[in-house]
Amino acid sequence: MATFTTLAERPKKHPDPDATQVYYTSNVLRLFAEYLERRQDTQVLDIGPICGENIAFLSRRVKRLYVCDMFLRMDRDRRKGLPPGRAWRHLDYPPQSFDGILLWELADRLEEREARKLAELCYTLIKPGGKVVVFVPGEQAVQEVVNAFVIGDGFRLYLRPQPHLDLPLRKRQNRNVLGMMAPLKSVKSFIYRNGLREFLFQHD
Amino acid sequence: MLKRTRSENDVMDPAPSPVSATGKTIIGKQVAIEGGIQGSEDLVIEGTVRGSIELEKFHLTVGPKGKVEAEIRAGNVTVSGQLKGNIKVLDRVDITKDADFNGEIKAKRISVEDGAYVKAVIEVERESQKKVEPVGKANNSFASAPGKESIPLVSEGDKGK
Repeated sequence: MATFTTLAERPKKHPDPDATQVYYTSNVLRLFAEYLERRQDTQVLDIGPICGENIAFLSRRVKRLYVCDMFLRMDRDRRKGLPPGRAWRHLDYPPQSFDGILLWELADRLEEREARKLAELCYTLIKPGGKVVVFVPGEQAVQEVVNAFVIGDGFRLYLRPQPHLDLPLRKRQNRNVLGMMAPLKSVKSFIYRNGLREFLFQHD
Repeated sequence: MLKRTRSENDVMDPAPSPVSATGKTIIGKQVAIEGGIQGSEDLVIEGTVRGSIELEKFHLTVGPKGKVEAEIRAGNVTVSGQLKGNIKVLDRVDITKDADFNGEIKAKRISVEDGAYVKAVIEVERESQKKVEPVGKANNSFASAPGKESIPLVSEGDKGK
């Protein structure tokens, strides 16, 4: 099981027995929630891995929550031998549809060209001033499997492995991530002691 | 032998009914229906249905083999098979890991299992604007020990919100 060595242990009486022991308090998630509170009639897109906890968290904060699990779609396409670029057909939303997009760690599961394509798509789909959340996994152990970042109380994130997904991870430096996500502009970023990085991008 | 007339208090033998003892109807794997379905009991679909389904306060289950393309109104809905369409329920929608769902959901509560193949627009009815957790008062009791918080990247720090 993947574990972060430098973070606090999960409380013993955690209500979800399936949750992993890995968790931490997310600054970017808190900022994103603050941002949603300031907007009216918000529409947010979560591209997965989709989990019930996150739907519960987000749907209470937005008017309409869009979920499209791109991890599952890319995984299916990959198993069929289809090129990764074909998966973008699923993100067929009108331009400037969303106030926020949660990419989680998807960009880090893509080759450079596809990651840039994803960033361009986000730029098209997000409203001016809208925010995009990007995570980059840290420790080797965490990278081995795709994780769902499960939102708990107090903006804590639990990493729940998704062993049914087989998407290789690309290791990227911060400058690569920032360059890859252009034309979105980085407004906040955090690095944790376990190496996990969180980025909040914005459409100007 | 004396013949007795039937009184109002006599219990009538129940007429034969397609409803099972548990009060639900099952559309089997070999059944395909096109059109509208209206009912006042729980419904399980293991076959194919295209059209509309209205079950008032009752429970609709799309089983693992079920294929449904419909506008749905029900009390609760559980999806384990393929469902394309819009769901409006009085209470909750449950989507299991085997489900393939594409459509809109309007409900009070939603649960989705990891691995479910979902593309959806979700609107959760907020009961009199239920208070969500205030952003500024996060509970850090487990993760706020010294040396366990994040470190803002110096170069990428405050560039404005």
